[in-house]
Amino acid sequence: MRDALSKGTIYLLLSLGGILMLLPFAWMISTSLKPANQVMVMPPVWIPHPIQWSNYAEAMRVAPLGRYFINSVIVTVLSTAGELITTILAAYAFSRLQFYGRDILFSILLGTMMVPGEVLLIPNFVTLTKLGWIDRYEALIVPWLASVFAIFLLRQHFLSIPKELSYAAKVDGCSDGRFLWEIMVPLAKPAIVTIVLLKAIGSWNAFLWPLIVTNSKEMRTLPVGLTAFRTDVGTIYELLMAASTLVILPMIILFLILERYIVEGVSRAGIKG
Amino acid sequence: MQSMRMTKPFLATMLVFTLLLMTLSACGQNNPPTGSSSSSDQTKTTTETPAAEKPENESIVTTLDNPVEITFWHAMTGHHEETLQKIADDFMKQNDKIKVTLVSQGSYGDLQQKLTAAAKSKTLPTMSQAYEDWITEDIQNNLVVDLNPYLENPTIGWRQDELNDIVEVFRNANNWDGHYYGMPFNKSTRILFYNTDYLKEKNIDVPKTWDELREAAEKLTFEKGGKKVIGMGFENSVGTEFSMWVRQAGGKFIDEETGSVEFNSSEGQKALTFLRDMIEQGIARLAGEDGYMSNPFGRGDVAMYIGSSAGIPFVAQAAEGNIHWSGAVLPKDKVAATPFAGTSVTVYQSATPEQRLAAWEFIKFLINTDNTALWAKETGYLPVRYSALQSETWKKYVEENPVYGIGEQQFDAGFFDPRILGINAVQTALGKEIEAALLGEKSVDQALEDAAKAAQEAIDRAKERAR
Amino acid sequence: MMQEKSLATTLKALLYLAPALIILVVFNIYPIITSFLMSLYTDYDYYHDIVYRYGFDNFLFLLQDEDFHLALRNTFIFVLGVVPASITLSLFIALLLNTNIKLRGFFRTIYFIPFVTSVVAISIVWRWIFHTEYGLLNYFLSWFGVSPIKWLTDPKWAMPSLIILAIWKGLGYNIVIFLAGLQNIPEHYYLAARIDRASRWQRFWNITWPLLSPTTFFVSIISVIGSFKVFDEIYALFDGRPGPVRSALTVVYYIFEKFYREQEYAVASAAAYVLFLIVFILTLLQLYIGKKRVHY
Repeated sequence: MRDALSKGTIYLLLSLGGILMLLPFAWMISTSLKPANQVMVMPPVWIPHPIQWSNYAEAMRVAPLGRYFINSVIVTVLSTAGELITTILAAYAFSRLQFYGRDILFSILLGTMMVPGEVLLIPNFVTLTKLGWIDRYEALIVPWLASVFAIFLLRQHFLSIPKELSYAAKVDGCSDGRFLWEIMVPLAKPAIVTIVLLKAIGSWNAFLWPLIVTNSKEMRTLPVGLTAFRTDVGTIYELLMAASTLVILPMIILFLILERYIVEGVSRAGIKG
Repeated sequence: MQSMRMTKPFLATMLVFTLLLMTLSACGQNNPPTGSSSSSDQTKTTTETPAAEKPENESIVTTLDNPVEITFWHAMTGHHEETLQKIADDFMKQNDKIKVTLVSQGSYGDLQQKLTAAAKSKTLPTMSQAYEDWITEDIQNNLVVDLNPYLENPTIGWRQDELNDIVEVFRNANNWDGHYYGMPFNKSTRILFYNTDYLKEKNIDVPKTWDELREAAEKLTFEKGGKKVIGMGFENSVGTEFSMWVRQAGGKFIDEETGSVEFNSSEGQKALTFLRDMIEQGIARLAGEDGYMSNPFGRGDVAMYIGSSAGIPFVAQAAEGNIHWSGAVLPKDKVAATPFAGTSVTVYQSATPEQRLAAWEFIKFLINTDNTALWAKETGYLPVRYSALQSETWKKYVEENPVYGIGEQQFDAGFFDPRILGINAVQTALGKEIEAALLGEKSVDQALEDAAKAAQEAIDRAKERAR
Repeated sequence: MMQEKSLATTLKALLYLAPALIILVVFNIYPIITSFLMSLYTDYDYYHDIVYRYGFDNFLFLLQDEDFHLALRNTFIFVLGVVPASITLSLFIALLLNTNIKLRGFFRTIYFIPFVTSVVAISIVWRWIFHTEYGLLNYFLSWFGVSPIKWLTDPKWAMPSLIILAIWKGLGYNIVIFLAGLQNIPEHYYLAARIDRASRWQRFWNITWPLLSPTTFFVSIISVIGSFKVFDEIYALFDGRPGPVRSALTVVYYIFEKFYREQEYAVASAAAYVLFLIVFILTLLQLYIGKKRVHY
């Protein structure tokens, strides 16, 4: 009885919050199917009349989304995979190895997060120019191969894995490397999947950086393609939303695939009411 | 435990950062400036006479023997970009030695950021779209090419009448002390949009003066089928277009020569009071949360508004199926004054002599009579040549789309904002204070005084920085 | 495994750190140092890399620049408004999502959606929610007899509106991190607690809260740092302006304006340095508190 009641409350709360979460998404989908004169109506029209599927065709015509899509996939996959490797190695060092200057180095890295990216853009652009990487995949990928945020997150998870495990492994004669990849990494799977997810989304949606470091259409990514629908005096919202929907679909699919891993342990943890 | 051990290193790191800065600043003061002295001399040219001290009389290349590639950065998207590409394609067909690569760099803001990065890393394109105040900054930094040697050259230049064919207000906006550092490309103006249904209903003529505008706004503020209609609307950028209102009142804004701020005058007070009173009375509003005025105007919430002619397609879209509308020249007070905005095309010094020549050839082509007419017709910007305005294509187009003909009727009243260093900071301060006055946060006198003070400080600071 | 530190262990650790460090040094630490140096340029030619004079003028300028003071004040209000509320709410939702309810996957997907929705869509919908005449929020408030609030056009309300948007926008992010943290809590603790017939509240307070503390600690540090750097939300909500009468001007917005719009590169760098010091000191404080509360 009490259980049913509290379950009901949970559903109610989650649903109310859920509606608030979904509103912009619903607006995006609905706008992508609107004729132009229903877009900025107040109060908003939620169900377009008539439903205009041609917006999608028009959006695809205006921006070369195909090529951009391939670039986005390449950049996202490579930078996510690369970041994962550097992160696991560094997080392991910061959580399980004793070395001189460990804490000061970690503090310096944390410090780098406190500087707004806006002031780093140009120095980094100059560096990439010197490296001759402008308008190449290297510029889109290499600067993003390591993240203090991810190292910090994984370090926290590694730290909360009981130390007894390391001693046990040591007794078994397990090498550092094997211990890391075979014990630590699987145990921190929820955190690792989270890192992959956050990185992939960040990389997929990045706009300013890809725009700044590329010049040719052949090197640009999907979010850059979205600029085609904006002008200095207004935005062609229905086409922008159609293109945006196409852009985010892969990320929703990715989430649906990864979601079960993030919450893998739930049934085991079994916090039943 | 972990974190406790981290506390001390944190302090240490901070100390290191601070010490690092101190030592570097200390030794920096004793060091002579790095870099060659000749380049530092060049960068020391002042705002007032940027061209005069520059050794820009070196001979230019006037013929192309070998193929040359040029890049043109712009912020045009969608159909605008397609039209630009078409013009470039036509150009390349006629000039088989020149290859033009157009690169869209997002919005104007993105383009500006990208140009800054490119200038810093010495990878500027051959040419780019740029606002005149960017060019002013670029002249200061010795980044742009003086076009006079090309313009005046007997073989590749323009005859005086060809130059004079460019609309005067646009021509002057690209002229710094007799030197052209840019040529006008996509130009727009402010016009008065009005709802023809409402004006007819209330039997009102299109306002031609401030008094008529206020009167019309009063009458056009009414209930219509349960909906509250407000007479007049202003864009959120009303603060940055304050120069227009001051000039219309017969006042002065900022002197480009001396950089002295002159809008804190009786005319300035009259202008701001006029705007504030209308908003206070509830017969005018800002675009506010609607972003651009085209939306509330299109749904019939506002009867008239003053906005950019480049926004005409968006007004048409918002109005479709809701209201009937048209446009007119701006109302005036003491004098007629209309700001012209939009970008020009400029060429960078990083380009080789051959590229500069190719860029010049492309500019000539881009704004020749046929192409500027074509561009205007396809995009809604204004033709930049008198001959284009007289052309059959354009005349026919205006006949079919009368709102596009409003811009040219205001050329005689046209002005452009002062191209002084620090103008962005001036606009920021001005925008803030004007908005504060309009929202009733500050008195008119106080807002103008604060705006004038902040503006003058910004200009003086920019001058100081440039010396 | 927990050997005493020595030259050998340090070398080994460096090997593990090398890939990340190389990238971070080149693309984070080096540009940070150069921009901090730039904060001391008082007479310089930015494009030709020539500095004629160093000094503290830029910091003195910030000291007397009203806009910068406004930006600092607003940033503090923003952080105080966002961080505690955001952490509490997202932890609460993560706990709900971690229970054994039906449609769990469905709800998780929904709470994740704002994360991938286009920023433009988000900003437009929120501008509608906050709209004075047609907005959802004022419509709800009218049920309780509240007269319309000018959320986005009244300078007094701009900051609260921004805070609401930022809390909403950060939720999904924090929830995903909290969910991952909750998975790390070994189930046998809960089993033991069940045998002891501990109530739900007791289980949360005695097991979840202490064992989740590394994650909570992480989220609070990340949130404070992130909130101090707020920029995108402002750009989106106020359509590329820092709110009416600059009422939502924050430090990073100020830096952006100085750097890219006003060519005040050195002043922007100085402002970034001031921001850095503030966040640094606050992180120190958090670490100090964290040492007592975080259980690994």
